[in-house]
Amino acid sequence: MNDAIRDSLDHCVKCTICETFCPVSQATPLFPGPKYAGPQAERYRGAGPSPDSSVDYCSGCGICTQVCPQDVKIAEINSRARAKLWERRGIPIRNQLIARPTVIGRMGAPVAPLANWALHNRAVRSVVQSVIGIHRDAPMPSFAGKTFQSRARLHRGPTSDAPAVVYFHGCGTNYYEPRVGEMVVAVLEHNGFRVIIPPQDCCGLPLQSNGNFRTARTYVRRLAGNLAPHARAGLPIVANSTSCGLMLKREAHEILGVDDADLEVVSGAMFDLCEFLLRLHEQGKLRTDFRSLPLTVPYHAPCQQRGHGIGKPALDLLALVPDLHMIELDVDCCGIAGTYGLKKEKYEISMAVGERLFTDIAATGSDLAACDSETCRWQIAHGAGVTAVHPIELLYRAYGLDGMLQPGPVTAGRQPTTVGA
Amino acid sequence: MSYDTLVVGAGLAGLTAALRLAERGQRVLVAARGVGATHLAPATVDVLGYLGDARVDSPARSLAALLASAPDHPYRHVPAERMTTALEWFAERAGTLGYSGNLDANMLLPTAVGVPKPSALAPQTMTGGDLRDGGRFAFVGFKGFKDFHPALIADNLGRARLPAPITARAIELEPPASRIGDLSGRVLAGRFDHGELTDWLGGALMDRIDADERIGVPAVLGLRKAVETWRDLESRLGRKVFEVATLPPSVPGIRLYEAMAAALRDGGVRIVHGVRVSGAHANNRRIETVDVVNATGSVSYPVQAVVLASGGFASGGLELDSFGTTRETVFDLPVIGVQSTDRVRFAPRYFDAQPLAGAGVATDDLLRPIDTAGDPVYANLYAAGAIIGGAVPWREKSGTGISIVTGYAAAEAILTPTTLAATEAVR
Amino acid sequence: MDRLDTLSAMATHNPSMSSLEADVLVIGGGSTGAGVAWDAALRGFSTILVERRDLADGTTGRFHGLLHSGGRYAVKDPSAARECIAENRVLRVTAADCIEDTGGLFVSTPWDDPDYADQFLEGCMATGVPAEEIPIGEGLRREPRVNPDIRRAFLVPDASLDPWKLVWGCARSAEEHGARILPYHRVLDLEVDGDRVVGARVRSEHGEEFRIHATVVINAAGAWAGQIAELAHCKVNVRAGMGLMIAMNHRLVHMCVNRCKRPADGDILLPLRTACVIGTTDVFVPDPDQTEIRQEDIDLLLDEGEKLVPGFRQARALHAWAGVRPLFEDTDKVAETRDVTRSHALLDHSSREGVAGFVTITGGKTTTFRLMAEAAVDAACLQLGGHRVCRTAEVPLVGSENHVPYRIGSRLAEREPVPQAEEIICECELITRARLEDTIRQRDTTSLDDIRRLLRLGMGPCQGGFCMYRVAGILHAGGSVDHLGANRALLDFLEERWKGLHPILHGDQLRQARLDDWIYQGILDVEHLPA
Repeated sequence: MNDAIRDSLDHCVKCTICETFCPVSQATPLFPGPKYAGPQAERYRGAGPSPDSSVDYCSGCGICTQVCPQDVKIAEINSRARAKLWERRGIPIRNQLIARPTVIGRMGAPVAPLANWALHNRAVRSVVQSVIGIHRDAPMPSFAGKTFQSRARLHRGPTSDAPAVVYFHGCGTNYYEPRVGEMVVAVLEHNGFRVIIPPQDCCGLPLQSNGNFRTARTYVRRLAGNLAPHARAGLPIVANSTSCGLMLKREAHEILGVDDADLEVVSGAMFDLCEFLLRLHEQGKLRTDFRSLPLTVPYHAPCQQRGHGIGKPALDLLALVPDLHMIELDVDCCGIAGTYGLKKEKYEISMAVGERLFTDIAATGSDLAACDSETCRWQIAHGAGVTAVHPIELLYRAYGLDGMLQPGPVTAGRQPTTVGA
Repeated sequence: MSYDTLVVGAGLAGLTAALRLAERGQRVLVAARGVGATHLAPATVDVLGYLGDARVDSPARSLAALLASAPDHPYRHVPAERMTTALEWFAERAGTLGYSGNLDANMLLPTAVGVPKPSALAPQTMTGGDLRDGGRFAFVGFKGFKDFHPALIADNLGRARLPAPITARAIELEPPASRIGDLSGRVLAGRFDHGELTDWLGGALMDRIDADERIGVPAVLGLRKAVETWRDLESRLGRKVFEVATLPPSVPGIRLYEAMAAALRDGGVRIVHGVRVSGAHANNRRIETVDVVNATGSVSYPVQAVVLASGGFASGGLELDSFGTTRETVFDLPVIGVQSTDRVRFAPRYFDAQPLAGAGVATDDLLRPIDTAGDPVYANLYAAGAIIGGAVPWREKSGTGISIVTGYAAAEAILTPTTLAATEAVR
Repeated sequence: MDRLDTLSAMATHNPSMSSLEADVLVIGGGSTGAGVAWDAALRGFSTILVERRDLADGTTGRFHGLLHSGGRYAVKDPSAARECIAENRVLRVTAADCIEDTGGLFVSTPWDDPDYADQFLEGCMATGVPAEEIPIGEGLRREPRVNPDIRRAFLVPDASLDPWKLVWGCARSAEEHGARILPYHRVLDLEVDGDRVVGARVRSEHGEEFRIHATVVINAAGAWAGQIAELAHCKVNVRAGMGLMIAMNHRLVHMCVNRCKRPADGDILLPLRTACVIGTTDVFVPDPDQTEIRQEDIDLLLDEGEKLVPGFRQARALHAWAGVRPLFEDTDKVAETRDVTRSHALLDHSSREGVAGFVTITGGKTTTFRLMAEAAVDAACLQLGGHRVCRTAEVPLVGSENHVPYRIGSRLAEREPVPQAEEIICECELITRARLEDTIRQRDTTSLDDIRRLLRLGMGPCQGGFCMYRVAGILHAGGSVDHLGANRALLDFLEERWKGLHPILHGDQLRQARLDDWIYQGILDVEHLPA
């Protein structure tokens, strides 16, 4: 057990600030709150497995650690306790399954139309709920058919003496939203970069949040191995999925305890996509040939985006687009928390957590919302009934890269889930 | 990204400074380890409650005596007119929370153990509890809410030293259950916001209250809809209803934070939590960049000015190690109010005067931390709030007052340094 | 502890009653006294125990809780080692609920004489203390915080004992067999009739004075045994050795970790429920009631802690306290050279000074309390009409009947599956309102300090920062005290806790203390309460 995480419980002065922010404990008494489940309960955890199963209701959003004024690693303590709990109990099939998006992705992609039909068929979903435990209304994305990796292989980029940037696209882009990936590449190329897309697989985050630390470490080491040579060559790595980016920046080391040289060099080279573009702008190297995009769009910064501690670069970037009015929402969590909201016993909690966000989005009157994380986008589309896009899509359109002369209807990388279709 | 001012700390002092700077057109970044004591403190504005053992009726009239007894006090650097301006500005920015009060006369508001505590300003949901005019009071407790004990409050208030006599009694109610579990103030506030409890409370009290009684409830009437709920209750009951602050979390404090955060967002201020300011790079005693440690490593922000609002020991702005050394934890500034010997010996009785109570940085009249020679450590570094030494705010009841007036004054010093120097006479 | 049992109440019911009768009167409510009461009651003797303060308020309640395997004494004091391992085994059966089977580790650090380790192993073998050498890697795997530079590591069957559970377990068990346990009853005088002690005159906390007549008075007053013996003009040369301990906020170690060296200061770090304790020192104090904590002792413990666990000084210290151990030196009996200072001593005053009906049992350590009690009651039997068999080695204490040892996670597990289904008053220690109210009723006390000791209320990281207000409110609401009493309880608690806080106030604990100042003074304004 990495001592720095456990020892941080010493800093807890019981101020209750974390509890006031925890969206899950507001929504259900089944989770006693981060102060209780984290630094308080940790004192009662001996060398063996955790005696409190209620820690499993922690969604892992990480807000508690972000707001703790004393540097207690609350979410990380919870994460470890949860893993110990599942280690003792054995991880159920459902959690094993949803923790491996690449497995699902590889299975689903070749038969995308059928798989998508099944995923959005109410009867099939009811069966899935009772047999596997994924809630029948939980927002599941649609398979894209052709993965981003396979599309990328067919792409011809700029010449090899352009400065290079490495693209870590993540499973979400690869199997469900390859369109987003294409937009990322287009924007980077528009700014004069040659985009390198190494072979890559899952970062292991869903495995980690479902308590399978051992396999998560294997995945993240493999991924770091793929990316490290580029990092060592001094190239920056950009990620459009803020949660996967955070995994490589920090969580794989802090929570999983992975200490490898590969991970360290990758972590140091990792940038969130908007963070990278904003830095370009600070260096005067970002193209600002934006067209007018007269839209009002609410922006939700995912919990894990805030975990980067970089501010909200998406907003700073989009402020450069003429006539685009971004509304900064102040709600903390959409509720999905990666795979948490998919689970039948947690779906209602997840929707209760996100309720305020959905209401606030609706109050803006916009039928569009922007958010950096794919699972959050799917939750927002499901709960607020709007089209949810990655901020890069707005930049893509503002650059005119969609080839359209006038701003038209925005299409996200996926269709919104319609249950019962 | 470069900023005009980087504010270290997201407590009341930091938020005040950031808001004042932003509304005057500055580009501001607030970098904080976490959320500040807004969520813990009662959200009244306590300017000065006690001078030694004597309760202060009028902060304005007691300031001179305060500064005579505590020459390093932060208020020394903020002239009375500026204090008034800061408080009026604050009340306006707090908007619908409806703060009222001023420096001339303290209200006496009941605490959750039933002690009349002096406060200069309070939000409208709390001012109804002002004990100065006497009268009849009923305090209401909710079964299952362990952080409020109306019988103890009522009994103690009945024996308190007050300008006019009061009578007080307790009413215990049982809220309708909506979920099992320990009730927290935050959860109760959520339920009030959802409209689940207003009808019940109004109905339950209607039959139990007497004429002319003012009703004191724990400060849980809601977050987003607290003022509406409070007004609704007052109008249903035809009586004054007031909230009483209790143990953390402070729901009125959270309201204040949300109001200020919304104003900051509107002003384009970026607040980043979960990061740590680790130091600065200066040229000729002028800070040029500030280092902020985040998820991966360190980012350097070019800045024109910095406000240090990191709080005292409770917030981690100051630290005492096991060898007896006190440190200011962000910039390693010199600290006053610490013992010169290497051992801190606390007085054996809890309520005695304790060492380190007034520890913090010393500042010049522009609120810039100074070194032992009296010169500003950096020409563009300012301090606000509990990090400033020279006061024992929890004792004299001046915490939120110091935060607001010094936060405001630090912002003013940044905005108009030359004007400030001209108008401030050495006192 | 029903209110009707206290003599004051009986006096109210029957004003003419001014004395109680018993076969055995035990003076002292620590582990020894409670053990004596238990043993005597179990043997069928009518028994009364008096203790001037709360049970376990003396040495027993202030030690670090180590249930010795005997390893510590294996070299220096073989007979003590043998006693320890024997009693260790017995108590695991009879007092299972009071014991957490943490196991123990002896480690040789770079500061420790390497030869001692071999002597240690030999000594353990000779005294029957099971000690197993393990590879250093395994030692560090079990205890990752321990200094990685240790040279050798040994496993022993040390365990962690909860002294309050033990003493109250004995007291309750004794009561079930007819004994009367009277805390807050101070002995004013011993009643001597000619050449025998016939009883004592006591005063209750409410000021009522009365007599207790007993055939045998057993002096189990520990470090105060000398003061009691004087009342019968007997000499018991007990010196008070003050020992300092510091509780650390969380378990830096899960086993009882000992330095493998000749016993000295600060060489033990062991878990005590959710905390861990570094101890201890040994400073002679002339008066066992005057124990002032010295800064140099604090520093010594912190430095020794740093040797065992690098980073110890950055870890959070919760509070510090001193206990006094009774060190008996029999200067009058030169021939009895086997009386080593840490061993116990049974003094039958009828043979020593010709004072019958009076026996002193002193010295010793909590691990061997049962053995000490057995010796005392055996001696008392001689004056009570003949020997009766001791059964405390077989009969389990109340609460330990199922022989299941305590587990650290038990309080946490009890709260599942909906942790906050009940109101939790002290969150650090997971004490529910129901439990608190039960305890207030049973103990019939309004001293927050008593409740604190029993429940460990306010003994967690926040040291009562949040819960004390709640408890004062509950006490008041329940009618146990009026508002002045509630105020007094709160203010007294703040002073009492300060005593253990201020010697170690630095780092995280200073932060906590300052937040608590903000709560009590800044928010509640308690210093202006009417009291």
